[in-house]
Amino acid sequence: MNKQENKQAVKVKSNSPYKQYLLFGLLLLLIPALVKMGVIKYSFLTIIASILIYAIVALGVNLLVGYSGLVSLGTAGFMGMGTYLAAYFTSDLNLPFEISLVISVAVPMIIGVLTGLVSLRIEGYYLAIATLAISEILRKVFVEFDVVTNGFSGKDADYPKLLGTFELNRDSTFMLIVVILVAVMFITHNFINSYTGRALSTMRGSEAAAQAMGINIYRYRLLSFAVAVGYAALGGVLYIHFIKYTYPNAWTLLFSLNMLAVIIIGGVRSIPGTILGSFIVFGVPDLILKNLPVIGEIDGLAYVFNGVLIIIVILLYPAGLIQFWHNLKMKIAKGRKGKEGNNA
Amino acid sequence: MHNATHENKSMADNVVLKIDDLSIAFGGLKAVDALTFDIKEKEIFGLIGPNGAGKTTAFNCITQFYKPDRGIVQFRTNKGEVENLVGKKPHEIIRKGLVRTFQNVELIRELSVIDNVLVGSHIEFHASVLSQIFKLPKARKEEAKFRQQAEEVLRYMGLYDIKDQLVAGQPYGVLKKIELARTLMCEPKLIILDEPAAGLNDSETLALTAIIREIRDKYNCAILLVEHDMRFVTDLCDRICAISFGKLLAVGTPQEIQANEQVQTAYLGKGDE
Repeated sequence: MNKQENKQAVKVKSNSPYKQYLLFGLLLLLIPALVKMGVIKYSFLTIIASILIYAIVALGVNLLVGYSGLVSLGTAGFMGMGTYLAAYFTSDLNLPFEISLVISVAVPMIIGVLTGLVSLRIEGYYLAIATLAISEILRKVFVEFDVVTNGFSGKDADYPKLLGTFELNRDSTFMLIVVILVAVMFITHNFINSYTGRALSTMRGSEAAAQAMGINIYRYRLLSFAVAVGYAALGGVLYIHFIKYTYPNAWTLLFSLNMLAVIIIGGVRSIPGTILGSFIVFGVPDLILKNLPVIGEIDGLAYVFNGVLIIIVILLYPAGLIQFWHNLKMKIAKGRKGKEGNNA
Repeated sequence: MHNATHENKSMADNVVLKIDDLSIAFGGLKAVDALTFDIKEKEIFGLIGPNGAGKTTAFNCITQFYKPDRGIVQFRTNKGEVENLVGKKPHEIIRKGLVRTFQNVELIRELSVIDNVLVGSHIEFHASVLSQIFKLPKARKEEAKFRQQAEEVLRYMGLYDIKDQLVAGQPYGVLKKIELARTLMCEPKLIILDEPAAGLNDSETLALTAIIREIRDKYNCAILLVEHDMRFVTDLCDRICAISFGKLLAVGTPQEIQANEQVQTAYLGKGDE
């Protein structure tokens, strides 16, 4: 700790970001209208919706990695499970959307907790291995258990029907996703700023301090993992009701690794950073790079882009690209102070 | 745990911690060897010894970070009951009213000063996760209550002005103070301080002496500390226990310890050996 002595003390912003989240949500709600007006391409709505869904999942990953210091390589499996369960409950069993949502989130969480019960007892790192295994098992189940999953051909679902009466279309489902994303941002913000959030940060920063302060590390690891799985499954449910199609090979290790890329590139321990990361990792290749001449033709461009970006970010912006924004804000604040000083 | 019941009666009323025959070995090395001493209520008790004498290991055995091979650690809890701490989990110890600091300052760099102090009252929080994520009245009230308490503690420690700054980047002396402040949040019966004066300059050490005495009076608790700085220990402590190679040399007042030949030998060495 001595090394940090010379560094300037940084002040923590304590004002609540609710207004910013709401504003962000309202702006997103305008997108379907912009598509109708022809300002934004029709296909972009799908891409943006997936980005927002992935952002919800990534918020869970950030809670796990950034706040609790655990790594999961099973995000894909749990999200995939959410898609399949929701498709099965709504398409095959004709259950109402809301009930399907609750079960499709609860079941993966239970499986997550069982995984955690076994793997988290030893060391945090074992969770990565255990979740990788569970995720691959789940993917095998998606292929083999074709009574429910329809095997390699994949499974369909419709846009959600709210309260059994309001049938949503593409635009209103998009809006539902936006509303849920903003709600998840609120909840996540409250969670990390609660005593539970402090306990998570403490066990990540110092297990010894956590134990000495009465924090049951095992319990809190389980809790944060269950929440992360819940977010992944929720993302899965929204995914199946917007994309309307799921198949086994969508849920590979690569997807879980992309989720880690989102928070590393966007910003570990940052809610806006996670959203930014999702836009960069899942958006930039599809929205921008593919539309460029020559470069857009290259196969697997997204992988190259993400790989290079991770290296650059880790080297230059270890706190993620959201740091750009914070630096900018600080500069503006300093500029203002400077001016005030001159006037006085 | 089984020997706790019949040992209970042997603990005098004014004793808060009694360790008996405490031993732990790493491989062949007996880090703590049949250590026995007790601490009275409201006493400031020092544990001294040359480097590698087993002081921190003894702390870790008392707070159950290490599981002692032998011996018992009897503690009069904040509920007034006498319990053997051996066999309990490290995170259960603070609930009994025993809280500690660390030699290398264990604070969370990403959290603000006040949030770090609030971690000290973790066991006092009871709101459910749902109540926390929706900021229901119960969670809000609880948070406000302990935040106010943390502010009072920070004001008392002279840290109020930096309460919203991150811990990362604070000078070492301040970190030591924050860690001490964190121990005051849980109404402790006994505070264990691992080298509280390490890395502090003379005036800071002097101030720390006063603060520790004040804490003892204000919070009505006993204090057990490990320290190298002999002047600090003799100035501050009511009684001192000197150990060497894990073994007890002597227990007594600072004057008795200073006059003790064995202690002098352990500290200064003897010509013929």
